[in-house]
Amino acid sequence: MKYTFSTTLLALLVVVSLGQAAFAQDVLIRNATVLTVTNGTLEDTDVLITDGVIADIGTDLRAPRGVDVIDATGKFVMPGIIDAHAHIALSSINEGSSPVTAEVSMEDVVNPYHLGIYRASAGGVTVSHTMHGSANVIGGQNETIKHRWGATDPDAIRFEGAPRTIKFALGENPTRVHGRRASGGSGAIVPATRMGVEQVLRSAFENGKRYMEAWDAYNAEAATNPRAVPPIWNERLEVMADILRGEILVHCHSYRADEIVMLTRVLKDYGMDKITFQHANEAFKVAPELAAYGAHASVFADWWSYKFEVYYSTAYNAAILTRNGVITSVNSDSGELNRHLYHEAAKSQRYGGLTDDEALALITINPAIQLGIQDQVGSIEIGKDGDVAIFEGHPLSIYTIPVLTYVDGVKVFDRENDPDDVRVDVDPTAEVGMYEGQITGKDHIHSHEEVVDMLHFFQSVADTHIH
Amino acid sequence: MSKEAAFPRSSRAGNSRGLLWLAAALWLLPSEALAQKNSPDIPVVSTVTAIQNARIVPSPGQVIESGTVVFRDGVITAVGRRVDIPYDAHVIDGGDSLSVYAGFIDALSHVGIPEPRNQGQPESVPDRSNPPFERAGITPEASARTALDPEDDAVEAMRHAGFTTALVAPRGRMLPGQATLALLAGTNASEMILQGAEPMFFQFEGAQGVYPGTPMGVMSKFRQLYREADRRRKLEAMYAEDPSGLSKPPFDPVHEAFFPVIAGNRSVAIWADDVLEIHRAMTLQEELGFSMMLFGLEGGFDTLSNVAASGVPVALTLDLPDKPRWAAKVEADSLQRILDAYDDETRTATFRDVEAEQRNLESRQLWSRARYVGMAAAYHDAGVPFAFASMGVDAKDIHANLREMIGEGLSSDAALAALTTNAASMLGLSDRMGAIRTGMMANLVVTHGSLFNEDTKITMTFVNGHMFEAPASTGRTGSNSPSDR
Amino acid sequence: MKRFMTFVLAVGFLIQPFEVQAQEQDEKARQGTYAITNARIETVANGTIERGTVVIEGDRIIAVGENVAIPDGARVIDGSGLHVYPGMIDSGTNLGLTEIGSVAETNDTNEIGDITPHMEALTAVNPNAVAIPVTRVSGVTTVVAEPTGGLLPGTAAVINLFGYTAEQMSAGSKMVIVQFPQEPSGNRPRWQQSGPDRRQERYKDALAKLDEVFDRAELYDRIMTAYAADPSGKEQPVYAPEMDALRPVLSGDVALMVKVDAADDILKAIDWVQKRELPNVVFSGVNEGWRVADKLAEAGIPTLVGPVLATPTRSSDRYDRAYANAGLMAEAGVKVAIRSGESENVRNLPFNAGFAATYGLGKEAALRAVTLAPAEMFGIADDYGSIEVGKKANLFVSDGDPFETSTNILALFIDGFNVPIESRHIELYEEFLNRDEGRLKPVEILPADN
Repeated sequence: MKYTFSTTLLALLVVVSLGQAAFAQDVLIRNATVLTVTNGTLEDTDVLITDGVIADIGTDLRAPRGVDVIDATGKFVMPGIIDAHAHIALSSINEGSSPVTAEVSMEDVVNPYHLGIYRASAGGVTVSHTMHGSANVIGGQNETIKHRWGATDPDAIRFEGAPRTIKFALGENPTRVHGRRASGGSGAIVPATRMGVEQVLRSAFENGKRYMEAWDAYNAEAATNPRAVPPIWNERLEVMADILRGEILVHCHSYRADEIVMLTRVLKDYGMDKITFQHANEAFKVAPELAAYGAHASVFADWWSYKFEVYYSTAYNAAILTRNGVITSVNSDSGELNRHLYHEAAKSQRYGGLTDDEALALITINPAIQLGIQDQVGSIEIGKDGDVAIFEGHPLSIYTIPVLTYVDGVKVFDRENDPDDVRVDVDPTAEVGMYEGQITGKDHIHSHEEVVDMLHFFQSVADTHIH
Repeated sequence: MSKEAAFPRSSRAGNSRGLLWLAAALWLLPSEALAQKNSPDIPVVSTVTAIQNARIVPSPGQVIESGTVVFRDGVITAVGRRVDIPYDAHVIDGGDSLSVYAGFIDALSHVGIPEPRNQGQPESVPDRSNPPFERAGITPEASARTALDPEDDAVEAMRHAGFTTALVAPRGRMLPGQATLALLAGTNASEMILQGAEPMFFQFEGAQGVYPGTPMGVMSKFRQLYREADRRRKLEAMYAEDPSGLSKPPFDPVHEAFFPVIAGNRSVAIWADDVLEIHRAMTLQEELGFSMMLFGLEGGFDTLSNVAASGVPVALTLDLPDKPRWAAKVEADSLQRILDAYDDETRTATFRDVEAEQRNLESRQLWSRARYVGMAAAYHDAGVPFAFASMGVDAKDIHANLREMIGEGLSSDAALAALTTNAASMLGLSDRMGAIRTGMMANLVVTHGSLFNEDTKITMTFVNGHMFEAPASTGRTGSNSPSDR
Repeated sequence: MKRFMTFVLAVGFLIQPFEVQAQEQDEKARQGTYAITNARIETVANGTIERGTVVIEGDRIIAVGENVAIPDGARVIDGSGLHVYPGMIDSGTNLGLTEIGSVAETNDTNEIGDITPHMEALTAVNPNAVAIPVTRVSGVTTVVAEPTGGLLPGTAAVINLFGYTAEQMSAGSKMVIVQFPQEPSGNRPRWQQSGPDRRQERYKDALAKLDEVFDRAELYDRIMTAYAADPSGKEQPVYAPEMDALRPVLSGDVALMVKVDAADDILKAIDWVQKRELPNVVFSGVNEGWRVADKLAEAGIPTLVGPVLATPTRSSDRYDRAYANAGLMAEAGVKVAIRSGESENVRNLPFNAGFAATYGLGKEAALRAVTLAPAEMFGIADDYGSIEVGKKANLFVSDGDPFETSTNILALFIDGFNVPIESRHIELYEEFLNRDEGRLKPVEILPADN
């Protein structure tokens, strides 16, 4: 029996197999309230995106022929939202078998078919920093992606030119995974305490430093001696060396004030000044120290109390940090929260009275700075990428509705016209019309992929707070 | 074997020809008892077989109606319309109802390596972050040859499905060892072994409970082994040339196993279970530069252009996704109507729309399944030559799956080529098998009816000239009564 | 926060004790006579009073209106430019039953056993849970605290978020929970592939068990009724506390809360409660309720819907399905209340309601869904759920719509107690906003050598 394709299905097929070239387009957005974030709010203003780049911002802009024109009268345009802590679009999250796994990279396991990409873009997100999990003191390298829904090549959703970043984790997670129980294929291994965490860090940095020196010495010698012997190749220490050279930005999952300061001490000893503390629920207690070090923080809007190390936290964290001069972002770390980061950021107005621009900065220019992509995204400025989100109602109001999202000028979310079922790959065998469960606002398990990872290493799934 | 030849006579070949024709007629009776394998205590009386009056397909697209093929000691000695049949041949008359094809070649599977019993919990190690190689599933130095067992159930099952040769991969996790070419018959493992390519087998299977457990861990570990092996290889060469002043280079069989790969003398055979694993395999290949063969590629329609452009030899999986449960109860023509009824304008606004939603989702699912089924045809249409791999598939499902693929647009010739000539070419066996030509190994499949028809049965398979008959009770889908011969 | 401080000082200008209390750490919640004047009052039951006064005496509201006499000695709160709302009610939480999710010793939600309807949440609620003040300063004054786990996890309690003992916190209502068995669908998750698939078998067993439990409960009820009528000559009935807990469910004196989510399960649950003729039933969760909204409306079963802030239940679903669920159900005629399903972030109830309002429920119905609607469903509408004379004084004063994040809650009343706007989160803010202002010399950040 032959299945002949209908033309609409064929069109769908064509759309989902578009190559890289199709991911930069033109659009003219007219007559909106433009929240630039870095240059104030512009009323009744047009934004022209050409070839994926913001070409002009002003009034009465003319659309080149054939370019889509969006009448955004009465609507709000803001820069595409940037989620600095996500676990979407990944086939696997935690290589939890070793406390140091700098060599692994999320780049290798990007999954462009993941529905989470679309669902976040339906909440205005255009860029996600999708990360290794928090099982290890030094985890794997993360990947900054653009929400190009419909792309089927993992390389096609990579944010070209975004700096490399790596995941560190302190506190209860790595000490529980490695040190406080016999699990997976062996008994407990260091670290079991926060003391151990520091030593694992120092040991990794020191070994990385010596590795780097050994290779530098070899390279110098090899210039004149053809019989110079190179040091043992070590993928892990290669990455540690790159971190020491400043080529990889450290993003460290952390909670307690004391461990936050501990890491700054270690980084200082190894001459590294760029650091973003992720979650950092107690960062507010050492805000002056962080500000002095130039450290950044990427925090939850209001998650607390699910573990002991977040028991003494406050939803005013983002506001306190902002008021003390620490560049702060609000992230989701959740496939549910990332669909309304505009609302998460707005909570900083209740918890600490941040202004509109300060609140919007938490999900735009600040995470852009933390990811090293502030020259391309994070605000609406001429020359930046055409990543914008259009809302009916001010994004910081509870009654707002995101209606359109563009990545590099390509429409990736359209509330009015998108089909209900936006899956790119459809399981050919699964039951149709099946209840699948939900991720809710308090779920601390990110995805089935993470559960599978944990089952790989640990006897039971009972401990679900890899967070 | 003809009854005539069982009792040797001294009459000249010419006189016995008439008798041979009589014997051939008598041969039309069921003759299980004469299968050589089943009765090892009966002495072998002839090592030459002739199949005559059969429709012979020497290679896809070529047909010899009412032809004859003769083979002696496992080698084809003659193929054609009019061929001299040696006097001592065991003659099989096709009665113009049998077809003969080159024996199928399974480009990759574990056939011949039985599944281990009692797997149990993997053993504990002192430090899971740094486990011994074997515990981590890293034994690239091992070989499938030492694990072969001709008594493995899969061997017989695959033979019944018409397969005579396979590239057999060892079982395990990420780097179980080297695959070996093997005949799907033998009284002991050594008889199965075919000399030839022994690619390093690699799959994205992490270890359980130890490093590396995840796909990204597996990829990093592969890079680590490869690059360190590269360093050691250069070091060993330098040391061998002149050791003075140098420490003895580190050695272990794991890294050593990579040397031929790095030198370009051995390929890496990678099993890609889904479209993302195809990307991961190609990423590693582009980074490290080894010679790669890719197997599986289930659901790989989205990467077709990448794969085509890369020129990597591929073998597609013979597996197809199960039909969804709801579709099993629906008539075939209704399925077509459901597929055609897909409406991308459908929106489910309220409870009133859930029925229409269900229909549309079913439609979409059928369309999705059609893509899987049509993938082989798509590869063919894109001009990408491919073989077929049976890893993970039950032998009894293979021909039903092939028929579905043909129903979805794969030509019979392309299917046959994938099973024979393309596979031989991919595995470096073109000089020995994959076609019915004088000089080639006598690996043949004999069917009653044209190969991919619904009610066709495979009646015999010849492996290196040895005959194996399909048992009456099993075999193919469709009728099975022996009188149909 | 700034607005709160301004407000407190403004009030303090009028009444001395307030100004002092703003400085002190140990503010007390006090009852007395209060008048909130010149405020925009959302009564919920009787519309909006643009500019009016609410008078509270003891634990009750004694006057509401545009022109209302203010009793002598009343503490006056000038509500000019401010709003008054009924205290919000969260129809499904674990608040008070768990302190820290990952620390098992602090979790009292899940007792051993499949059939434990007699386990009372009210007993285990910790009146001093840190999350309680954190919650109430957002305007949520009342919650349903639910036990979890098993077929009949226990009896949920409706509690006010102020009190020092369980009795003081109880809002006078409770509900027995049934976790309706969920039909297994599709393939098992990849990580549960070993062994034969027993899920369908276990599901049928669970349904049968549920019926068996209620059959026995009915028998038990007959036995107890007969024994109570005339014990003479009768053997004493067996001790069965589980069955004791179910008797009022059979009579309708206590509501049965059926937790059910998937569309097919909801239909089965409707059939089940109707077949058993249970007179007082609410459904909770109901996150696929929109799919069978007509059946729910027809059956007249009220629903506690949520969480609203959740992903769709199916990968083929429209992305906003969970936001729109409550609105679609209300549109079809189903009575809805909203639940957050939270433990430590019940303060997000108003935001759940806000999203429901935005995606179809509408502001008015959304406000009702966290006030009067649940009060009615729990049988406590005589005391709670709206600002009406004679009801308990559960209300709050805000500078705007409490669903908006930019709104601040400035004053809070629970059972007439003027509860201070204080919580650990606020305390930490006050201490750490300018951490070092008490220091003479600035601290040296990260000493030069370590």
